[in-house]
Amino acid sequence: MSISDATVAVSEELAARDDMIVCRGVDKWFGDFQALSGITATIKEQEIVVVLGPSGSGKSTWIRCINRLEAHQSGQIIVDGIELTNDLRNIEKIRSEVGMVFQQFNLFPHLTVIDNITLAPIWVRRKSRPEAEEQALSLLERVGIPEQAQKFPGQLSGGQQQRVAIARALAMEPRVMLFDEPTSALDPEMIKEVLDVMEELARTGMTMMVVTHEMGFAREVADRIIFMEDGEIVEVGTPHHFFTEPAEERTKLFLSQVL
Amino acid sequence: MDDGDGVGAPVIGDKPAIERVATRPAEETHRSSAEWIRKNLFPNPFNSFLTVAFGIFVLVSARGLLNFVFSEERGWDAVRTNLRLIFTHAYPEEQYVRVWVCVGVVVALACLSLGLFASGGEGLRLRKISNALNATAAAIALGVVLREPSVLIGADGETVRDADGVVRQSFAEAMADRWAWWLAAAVLAVVALAVRRVPKRSDGSPAAVPTLDFAIGAMALPVLSTWVYPWGHYAFADGEFIAEPGRTVAMSTKVPWTVMWALAVASLIVGRWVSAQVDERALSRLRAVVAFTWLVVPFVLYWVVLRDPDLDWDRIFTVDAPLALAFGIGGGAVLWWLTADGRGELGRIGAIALLGFAAFHWVAAFMGWYPMLQKVRISFLLLAVMALLAHNFSGEAAKRRRLVLAWLVITTVFHYFATVMNTPSTVETPTEALIGGFAVTLVVAVFTLMLSFPLGVVLALARTSRLPIFRVMSTAYIEVVRGVPLITILIFFVVILPLFLPANMEISLFASATLGYTLFSAAYLAENVRGGLQSIRRGQYEASDAVGLSTVQRTVFIVLPQSLRASIPPLVGQVIATFKETSLLAIIGVFDILRMANSVIPAQTQFLGIKREGLLFVSLVYWVFSYMLSKQSQRLERRLGVGER
Repeated sequence: MSISDATVAVSEELAARDDMIVCRGVDKWFGDFQALSGITATIKEQEIVVVLGPSGSGKSTWIRCINRLEAHQSGQIIVDGIELTNDLRNIEKIRSEVGMVFQQFNLFPHLTVIDNITLAPIWVRRKSRPEAEEQALSLLERVGIPEQAQKFPGQLSGGQQQRVAIARALAMEPRVMLFDEPTSALDPEMIKEVLDVMEELARTGMTMMVVTHEMGFAREVADRIIFMEDGEIVEVGTPHHFFTEPAEERTKLFLSQVL
Repeated sequence: MDDGDGVGAPVIGDKPAIERVATRPAEETHRSSAEWIRKNLFPNPFNSFLTVAFGIFVLVSARGLLNFVFSEERGWDAVRTNLRLIFTHAYPEEQYVRVWVCVGVVVALACLSLGLFASGGEGLRLRKISNALNATAAAIALGVVLREPSVLIGADGETVRDADGVVRQSFAEAMADRWAWWLAAAVLAVVALAVRRVPKRSDGSPAAVPTLDFAIGAMALPVLSTWVYPWGHYAFADGEFIAEPGRTVAMSTKVPWTVMWALAVASLIVGRWVSAQVDERALSRLRAVVAFTWLVVPFVLYWVVLRDPDLDWDRIFTVDAPLALAFGIGGGAVLWWLTADGRGELGRIGAIALLGFAAFHWVAAFMGWYPMLQKVRISFLLLAVMALLAHNFSGEAAKRRRLVLAWLVITTVFHYFATVMNTPSTVETPTEALIGGFAVTLVVAVFTLMLSFPLGVVLALARTSRLPIFRVMSTAYIEVVRGVPLITILIFFVVILPLFLPANMEISLFASATLGYTLFSAAYLAENVRGGLQSIRRGQYEASDAVGLSTVQRTVFIVLPQSLRASIPPLVGQVIATFKETSLLAIIGVFDILRMANSVIPAQTQFLGIKREGLLFVSLVYWVFSYMLSKQSQRLERRLGVGER
């Protein structure tokens, strides 16, 4: 089954929406090792895409290419109509439209929770401090930890830290949110609180691209699932298609290992 | 730093750590001292041997030191009489109040900061104080026994000698003769016992006093003692103290020291009162003001208080003030224009053009193309730096106003000091340096650190930069400076640099020495900061990029705060090293504290050749300051460690 066939499986309604992220033939090498080969995919506005695949399959590399934490060597990446090139202005523009949540949270340990969240809105979005703080508090309310505003990240649990990281990304009012294995560094009892926040976010109509190993989340929340292996997109489809009637041999093998 | 495990204090809320504390075996905390001694000092024959051997070594050394310090041959009067010389050299006596004003400003500012920044803490436990008092009492008693008996003084005032040499008291006589020391030890022990008897607080926590209050209270004792006992150079006759009027250390300084102490208490109270009155935001603003004051105070104290500028008002009204005004208004307008909405690329080009213009004047100065006031060149450079930062303040009117305001403050401060520094002083001193002794040590150390810190940070950033030109230049500089001995650099700056300067430029011994120290210290600071930079994990850079911070913003808000924090211990090590290295000033011809003890005092007719006492005292002064610095660094580390990961 080719990729274009798989895209057909997505609903008509989704296909009619605007493109948010377009990747055409994206290649990426680390030295001699090809991490991404010919990635071609389109993510629509308000779509939730979950990227699955075994470790080392290039999922994280791809998602990191989308806001230029890694540079791709050939092919095109277009986010909300802006092409990612070496032009710094385009990179700045795209980074202010794309929020990212990391596996290791990457909160700023020397700043309080509220300062973590307000730093970028104040200095990049040029908001006034009271305005930024008000927004930060409402975001903390939304992720369920308003009482932790004055604490330092080191004083929070992993799940709370990841929720702060989500709030920090949302404070920039992004049009796309990228999640790079947001629950992989968490203790099992904290995974749910983070997934709940992500589900809530999905319901508000945010465009989301999620690299994860949480099959439950993929099944419940995703509009589409992209399966990757060895730097290639192997199969694309709705969760129903993906979990019940996968077409590719490699997909079946992967599912048999994780389910 | 490996995998997110911070080096700081244990993470708050770390449950296992708390449980460990709770289940710690009870006997470990409540062991008797006999058991403690057996377990720690004499656990097996070999360790017992080591304990005994090193114990004997310590006792013998202590005995040697005591015999040296308390020997009748020692001329401590040389130190006592020359305290003013040791601390300030030949600063004119009739202007001495200026020195006290400096001390007062530093004391007041320090206590105000302590009041504003104080973290509270659990305070000093009375039990600890009691232990310290007991230890002091024991040390005094041991010292009294260890010291050899005094020599006998005959009726003629000479030491009594027989065939074997000087005649000493018998041991029993010596012990009885030292009754005052016994009494002191006994008083301390009784006080210790009384302190230990203070009951626990009503909530069961051990009794404690706030550390700061205790320290300031303890300082009152020596200050008050100067009113009842004339410490220093005095004579004792017919049951009365006879001091040369005004010459005794205690008599001539008791009023100033009492004023200093009162000032300390007052500023501490004011600081605490203010921090209790205002809210969090106002407090952090106040703290920023205090921090800025600390940066300006050394300049004010040295060039305005100690130097007393003899201002030439004609020139100020015709040249200096108009210049400052022009730069303030013109530069403000340029910055206002640069930060307007939609300047974008044009703004950056303007800033770079300004930088080129400023750099051109410096080239012109060294080539001698056209004359220009040095401060005009520096002003242009400052304006260019501000212009480069301008794009961070574009947009809102409030932000633009803040940038222009910052420029006005910088211009005012800079032009004020440039004017003051170029004005002759009314204070007349015999040497080129305005002040000598320990004061010059402090002045050089403070200016060196203030100048070399920014330079070191810039060098470290350049060395880790992605741009090869910065990296190569910074690496070359650091490696060259680190490969050359400090004394060589100092001699180069003092002897050779003046020959290279353009004809119309002069540099004082003091300035060239400070410059040499600054360039030397910056190279070492840069390496320390680089260590901190490398400890920042990649995720921090990625997160800053992902939220859209620019490189400058990332460096200022994310990278530097964390890396400076991580490099506090080596940085403080470098600060202490710089402080002690100022003793090399004695070699290049500055009358610093070491030179006082080593050559000035031994040359005085009444203290001819008395050198060892002075050197011992100078070592003590150096040690006290270095120890205080290292203690403060440990405190700072603990305090900053709280928020860490």
